[in-house]
Amino acid sequence: MRLPRLIRSTPFRLTLLFLALFAAAASAFLGYIYIATAGEVNRRADADITREMESLEAAYRVGGVNALNQTIVERATGERPFLYLLLDKDGKRISGSIEESPIDDFTGPGPTWETFKLTETDIDGAEVKRAARGVQERLTGGEALFVGADVQESEGYVMKIVRALRGAGALVIILGLAGGVLISRNVSRSMQGLVDVVNAVRAGDLHARARVRGTRDEYDELAEGLNDMLDRIERLMGGLRHAGDAIAHDLRSPLTRLRARMEVALIDAENGKGDPMAALETALIDADGVLKTFNAVLAIARLQAAGEAPNQETFDASELASDMAELYEASCEDKGLDFKAEIVPALSIRGNREFIAQALANILDNAIKYTPEGGAVMLRARRTSSGELEFSVTDTGPGVPEADRARVVQRFVRLENSRSEPGAGLGLSLVQAVAASHGGRLELAEGPGEYGGFGPGLRVALLLPRVE
Amino acid sequence: MRILIIEDDLEAAAAMSHGLTEAGYECVHAPDGEAGLTAAGKGGFDVMIVDRMMPKKNGVEVVETLRREGDQTPVLFLSALGEINDRVVGLRAGADDYLVKPYAFAELMARVDALSRRRETGAVATTLKVGELEMNLINRTVHRQGKEIDLQPREFQLLEFMMRHAGQSVTRTMLLEKVWEYHFDPQTNVIDVHISRLRSKIDKGFDRAMLQTVRGAGYRLDP
Repeated sequence: MRLPRLIRSTPFRLTLLFLALFAAAASAFLGYIYIATAGEVNRRADADITREMESLEAAYRVGGVNALNQTIVERATGERPFLYLLLDKDGKRISGSIEESPIDDFTGPGPTWETFKLTETDIDGAEVKRAARGVQERLTGGEALFVGADVQESEGYVMKIVRALRGAGALVIILGLAGGVLISRNVSRSMQGLVDVVNAVRAGDLHARARVRGTRDEYDELAEGLNDMLDRIERLMGGLRHAGDAIAHDLRSPLTRLRARMEVALIDAENGKGDPMAALETALIDADGVLKTFNAVLAIARLQAAGEAPNQETFDASELASDMAELYEASCEDKGLDFKAEIVPALSIRGNREFIAQALANILDNAIKYTPEGGAVMLRARRTSSGELEFSVTDTGPGVPEADRARVVQRFVRLENSRSEPGAGLGLSLVQAVAASHGGRLELAEGPGEYGGFGPGLRVALLLPRVE
Repeated sequence: MRILIIEDDLEAAAAMSHGLTEAGYECVHAPDGEAGLTAAGKGGFDVMIVDRMMPKKNGVEVVETLRREGDQTPVLFLSALGEINDRVVGLRAGADDYLVKPYAFAELMARVDALSRRRETGAVATTLKVGELEMNLINRTVHRQGKEIDLQPREFQLLEFMMRHAGQSVTRTMLLEKVWEYHFDPQTNVIDVHISRLRSKIDKGFDRAMLQTVRGAGYRLDP
């Protein structure tokens, strides 16, 4: 049974409230119609009776009671729709079309109005009561004159109006109630959809989404907002779960290695072999390596989970690129690499300065690491024709075969020929995560080609969207 | 030198205390924020090491309270929260340095050292002098044994930092943070390269090397 629930619902209660207001307004309206129609009918009948009375009174003034009597007898037998009764001073009937006055107070000063029932015998001999109305007045001679009218017909007319108004009132309430039920059912159903989604999510189903009906109303807006929120929550949850899995998976092997090494060192120390100090030092280096990997994985995971880099600000990208050039130029020279920087001045960018610095550092780290002595590294910062900010680093190392380019940005992917170099394969994944969290992208392409017998080199570009 | 350690992880505090005592510091440990404030109230500490997340009163509240009460003892924040935003909150609360857990003890040592000595060089100096090395901060010149040493701007900053922390170990991370003002973790030996360039300028041609490499920690400028 849905009704009790429906009655509890806010839309239904609101409907009832509006219905009450509407009913009050309708009553006022119908009341006015009643007064304007039924009241008018009665007023007209009264006016007719009054006129007849006046004309009879005129006859009385001219010819006294005899003339009046004469007139009444004439009129009572005529076609006139009036009822007459003339009584003498003592209240005895002189003439008229009815037997006795419906007005008891014979001695009253008059004019006295009365609505009464007229008992008649119809064609079939049955008694019928008809509505009538009349006025009684004392004449100057002490006689009493009653003039009435059969108002059954107009009364019937009034009754019809009253019935119509009653019907209209009932109709207003029924239609209002039905409309209210329909509207609140509709509203409740829309709400119910959202409530169901919330309950499903609360029960653990993060995939539940509210139905958007495409009506562009506030329910759609609410449903869309709810869905957006759920999308974000789902993405965050997924990201966190993924990060947890990744960390668990990726740190297991270095930790196992560290443990094994310490165990061996312990056995060696027990047997008096090996140098415990050296073993501890190696373990410390291993532990540092694990921590570094852990921090990198965590940074990547957090960036991926957050969707958007935190603490974004507008800053000078040229300055950042110059800083990085200055920081890494020394490393290049140290390794015998030719370093060049082409940085367009005053490039403004919005983003997390630290993350972008870290990304550039990682790209430069890679370039220096993989470019053999005698090679060249070049850092550029410029705005592309589409307004994006592009940081690019070109080296003359062995490059990355096109088939592997998509793969090297994944976590822990290291190409065969780079296995001898230190690193965990997280550098470019972090760059990728930084790019994604700024709405930008990472592009890998072939470098300048053959250079001093090496090459073809690699061009890594970090593209960030234009500042609005 | 006295150090107040406000840290709820007893084992971590014990290890820290042990290491710092070995290094010649006198350590006092407070297991939570309130106890920390009480201990700090007695005064006489040269450095405070404050954990960020603690029962009763967290690290930020402790530091804010201390600073409000006019206590200017240098504070090193320790935290598992390593995001840049967390650093900003910590430093805004009035901490002087920030170290993210887990950390190497050498790093902690170097930072505590830097904080504990900083107070002695509080006065605004126009020249720095470390052994034979003399730095004029106004016209930005450096001399060793009266001979002028030509330095690039960043090399000058690097040497200035080393001179201000003469005799102390300074880590690579600290140099990247204080000289370059970046907080990331360089994979390669970028800082080492800059140090070695600086070393070739200030030590080459002299009988004694002033800029030392400290194994497992970083560098030290000896007088």
